[in-house]
Amino acid sequence: MDNEKRKALIAKIKTRLSRPMRYYLDLCTRCGLCYDTCHVFYGIPRKEYSPVGRAEVVRRIYKKYFRPSGRIFPSWGDAKEIDDHAMDELLDAAFSCTGCRRCMIHCPFGIDTPFLLSIAKVLLIENGTAPEELTMLADGAVEKGESISEFKEGYREVIRDLEKEVAKRIGAASPDGLIPLEKKGADILFVGLAGAHSIVNPAIIFNKAGASWTLSWFEAVNFGAFLGDPEKMQRIADRVVKEAIALGVKEVVIVECGTAYRIPKFLLGPLPFKVSSIVEVIHRYLKEGKIKIKEKAVQEALTYHDPCQLGRNAGVYEEPREILQSICADYREMTPNRAFNWCCGGGGGLVALDNEQFRIKSGRAKYDQIVATGAKIVVSACENCIFQLDTIKSGYSMDIEVKSLTELVAENLA
Amino acid sequence: MWDKVYYFIMIPMVYLAVATFVLGLLVKFIIVLSSPKPAGTYAVFPKRPLRFIGAVGEAFIVPVAFRKDKLFWLMIIAFHGAFLLLFLGHLELIREFIFLQIIPHKVFLGAGFVGIVLIVSVLYFLFRRFTSPWREISVPEDYLLLLLLFLTFIFGSHMSLASRYGIAGFDIPLDAYREYLSSLFTRNPAISQGIIASPHYVLVVLHVFFANLFLMLFPFSKMVHSVFIFAAQLIKRK
Amino acid sequence: MADDIKVDVTMDLKGLKCPLPVVKVSQQVKKMQVGQVLVAETTDPGAHADFPAWAKTSGNEIINIVKEGDASKFFIKKLK
Repeated sequence: MDNEKRKALIAKIKTRLSRPMRYYLDLCTRCGLCYDTCHVFYGIPRKEYSPVGRAEVVRRIYKKYFRPSGRIFPSWGDAKEIDDHAMDELLDAAFSCTGCRRCMIHCPFGIDTPFLLSIAKVLLIENGTAPEELTMLADGAVEKGESISEFKEGYREVIRDLEKEVAKRIGAASPDGLIPLEKKGADILFVGLAGAHSIVNPAIIFNKAGASWTLSWFEAVNFGAFLGDPEKMQRIADRVVKEAIALGVKEVVIVECGTAYRIPKFLLGPLPFKVSSIVEVIHRYLKEGKIKIKEKAVQEALTYHDPCQLGRNAGVYEEPREILQSICADYREMTPNRAFNWCCGGGGGLVALDNEQFRIKSGRAKYDQIVATGAKIVVSACENCIFQLDTIKSGYSMDIEVKSLTELVAENLA
Repeated sequence: MWDKVYYFIMIPMVYLAVATFVLGLLVKFIIVLSSPKPAGTYAVFPKRPLRFIGAVGEAFIVPVAFRKDKLFWLMIIAFHGAFLLLFLGHLELIREFIFLQIIPHKVFLGAGFVGIVLIVSVLYFLFRRFTSPWREISVPEDYLLLLLLFLTFIFGSHMSLASRYGIAGFDIPLDAYREYLSSLFTRNPAISQGIIASPHYVLVVLHVFFANLFLMLFPFSKMVHSVFIFAAQLIKRK
Repeated sequence: MADDIKVDVTMDLKGLKCPLPVVKVSQQVKKMQVGQVLVAETTDPGAHADFPAWAKTSGNEIINIVKEGDASKFFIKKLK
């Protein structure tokens, strides 16, 4: 690695030195209380996969260039220079982390390890060694925002097909307008994903509830955030923000996708509309009596996996549980659950990478948890989690069914 | 020659240490406060009520450690509690802090117990780091700081125990320390005769030397956790 | 028109979860020669915007889209 490059990388670190970052970089005592709290470590017990192990990879480099001790006496704090080996370590640390923040609640100081790893991610991007898949997906998403008008017709056409399916499912006479697009003044802008299921099931629920809604042109997921590129993250998020403002909606409802919910809800600052998860909306419709579900329609034992971004990082714990407890007769909790729930291993964009064997291993904690409940159906409310739960299911040859909460509700509407 | 070294440690180095401590922390605060605040909130859920009290409470009670490792928790609480008492005790050695003597009492309420607790807990932290997996995540700083604390405590504790219980012919009375610290505080520094004249002077010098090092390293080491913990806990609750 | 195009590789991406269709296509295209054509069949409505956007940023070309029932076939030509 030449000096020019190193200088450019050091300059990148500077861009991430916000107030919380400085706290997190300085205050770790390496007490080790976090040591075994990462699901990856549970499956692959190596120091590199412990939260402190990951954080130290970043911290050592920071010390080398930003702390007097690292400059004068590097061995004092094990300060390390940026070189190709360090970049490899950063890659392994950052893109084996799902950003679940389970370590954060096991840290006496509350150090946010994924936040620290955002330094690793900007360095990898600058170095040109960030995962290609995520770079490609983020670039595609940004481009879609730039030239959406070119794609509208093709999209509109397939949405018409989906309307027919919705009509069939809810027994409507005409499919027209069952999935509104660009409806000005609608109450809700719903942001789905690329897959048909992520639009059809919510559409059934919205129609049953008689909601005033419209479907977004964009997918909710933010690959810029997974990649760790703050600028792309903002541009991808802005697509929906601008769309919502232009349509004048009161509420933006996000499909089952944890990151897509957390970003507008908590990370963008104040927005002129309310941000809700589809799970919260279903819960609200049930409470208001706008939709009804077949009580205890599911007889088999069922358990719920808290998506980290929806639970620990957004606080939507009780809504999914109340919904599920009314649908199913035998609801079982995983242990631990809620804030302490184990991450399934699918977050952080990891499911987009070529790493299935790694994800099977890092899904070991989740596998053990599911087995302990004895449940036959595992429900979650995040596309990444569902994806990863399917990987765990096939990886460990499990006799379970993995289901999305929205899908389960849509199938059991009274 | 040694007289000069002792003098340097006992007076100029103390001022240097305090200045390094204060300026170091000040610079650190300026750097932190001039760093941008990210938009949005980075809380974890469920959010507990009483943000400030909660943050302070968690910093002092360390429930995370209690859940995970009871012995470690006990040592953390013992160490930090004793450290706080130790700090107060040293303030009491400065006559000017008379508010601490509103209810008159003998200085060093712990009667030597505080020092013992600190030594035991520091040794526990140190030996814990000799075992896996803590050994693998430790860096030299972790051992060296504990060693430094151990050395400071062992000499300090010896001075305190010996003078209180009159052990080993230790002949420096508590008032000699009060005189010395007060003189430093009032910027009219002098090492009291009671200390200089004693054959145990060297022990006092060593204690002060290690304490100086501790103060000088404080802003530049992981010891800033004692300050930043509150800020980090507040972010978790924002 | 679709019949006239010489297809080199065909991929069935039906029912895959987000974001796999685009990832798989991109990985496949990387393995192919310039000028070769890939047909990707997907049921994702999102693909109608995601594939063209990906093609634009990656410098490839979607030469045809054919709808067959729920699924759509994207004819992608590798340009570089």
